[in-house]
Amino acid sequence: MIPDDATRARLAHFIREASGALDVRLTLFEQMSGGAVQQNWAIDAEVTGGAFAGTNRWVLRMDAPTVVAESLTRAHEFQVLKAVQQGAVLAPEPLWLCENRAVVGSSFFLMKRLPGVATGHKVARDLTLVPDRRHLARELAANLARIHAIRVSPRELPFLNTRLARDNIAHYRRYLDLLGEGHPVLEWGLRWCELNAPPREETTFIHRDYRTGNYLVDNGKLAGVLDWEFVGFGNPMEDIGWLFAKCWRFGQYGYPVGGVAYAEDFLPEYELRSGRAVKPAELHYWQVMAHVRWAIIALQQRERHRSGAESSLELALTGHLLSDLELEILALTEEHA
Amino acid sequence: MITNLPEGSELLLIARKTLLDDLAPLVGDKAKYTLAMIANAMAIAAREAEAGEAPALAALARFDRIYGIETRELHGEALRRAIAVQDLRLAEDIRGGHFDAPDEKRRAVFEHLRETVTARLRISNPKSLP
Repeated sequence: MIPDDATRARLAHFIREASGALDVRLTLFEQMSGGAVQQNWAIDAEVTGGAFAGTNRWVLRMDAPTVVAESLTRAHEFQVLKAVQQGAVLAPEPLWLCENRAVVGSSFFLMKRLPGVATGHKVARDLTLVPDRRHLARELAANLARIHAIRVSPRELPFLNTRLARDNIAHYRRYLDLLGEGHPVLEWGLRWCELNAPPREETTFIHRDYRTGNYLVDNGKLAGVLDWEFVGFGNPMEDIGWLFAKCWRFGQYGYPVGGVAYAEDFLPEYELRSGRAVKPAELHYWQVMAHVRWAIIALQQRERHRSGAESSLELALTGHLLSDLELEILALTEEHA
Repeated sequence: MITNLPEGSELLLIARKTLLDDLAPLVGDKAKYTLAMIANAMAIAAREAEAGEAPALAALARFDRIYGIETRELHGEALRRAIAVQDLRLAEDIRGGHFDAPDEKRRAVFEHLRETVTARLRISNPKSLP
């Protein structure tokens, strides 16, 4: 999308209609960093009349030119955001969905813009952003416990998938088969996951992208969790394995919790809030799965570039992340070799 | 070498250095990020050119040992095809549980995978080599 005058006018018109305002003036309209899958735009709007009269800070979230098959449509993500407003989960409040592609070129929704910094390497490396690591870890833990406690019926959000460990393995193998190339290290990781799969699993609502880079930190505090495009039903330990995975520590390998905190800052709080025990073997298991999953996503990103669907240097370079992920898969499964 | 002109990898590296030294200081933050990505891509391509066929030949030799095949000397497109076939077969056999038993073969496969990944990391991201 190019935020030219015509696009601004169409968007202002949409907001005026949706919010019941008399007049809407966009004073800021610029692309936010991050988001290889979705594009986010920061919007400031001066609104006259209606329930939103005054200055508003919003985010416009739209599809990128090609999407990862895994991710929800904007319409579905919008419904998810509405559903998670229950239960004190920290998440942006969704406002309006627009499925008319004529407005900005693809469907989009608007949500309130929360304060803070999300960029992963900043959160993990800038000590001034996170002065109290334990505090942030406890907030992340409590918030994740609240997410896992969200009760939505599959009837309410019928588009959400349920995937436990073995379903994930089958899912990733199907993707590799579609690709038609051999990935022995990923197969090694998947075989390990198959042989070590938990005999019994709990199923809850899970976020599936709960990691550093996807939450906002404001004044050292957790301000909100972003990127609700991968949610579904699954093993709650999957979210913890993802948050702890080495690939999401942004170089701060000494801090297993997303490069920001120690495990002991997070786990007791999660266990207390959720009433669920996190066993070391399960945490290990879901970290193997996390690297396999990220590797599959990296392959999908590379394919978006390679297929010619969306020629992009950033996507092409994502393919080169694969070796790092594979090395970690081997390291995590070595004692079992 | 047929000429005494700079080779591809050498050209890429000096182009990359010029990009970083002369252009990067002149641009804003967003363009800096793009320049860093371009510089990274150039470094990867230079390392790939430098490494040549050696990593693929070594991988094929390891694979041939695991499967008890006589070592093959292949080059160019034939080597690329052989590696693709090798990866498909190994992937299928790992999935099929052929290397589940804790024996020599399993260890050989694991070592092969580790060496293959390490060789690729030398090109993709040598900083993270163990």
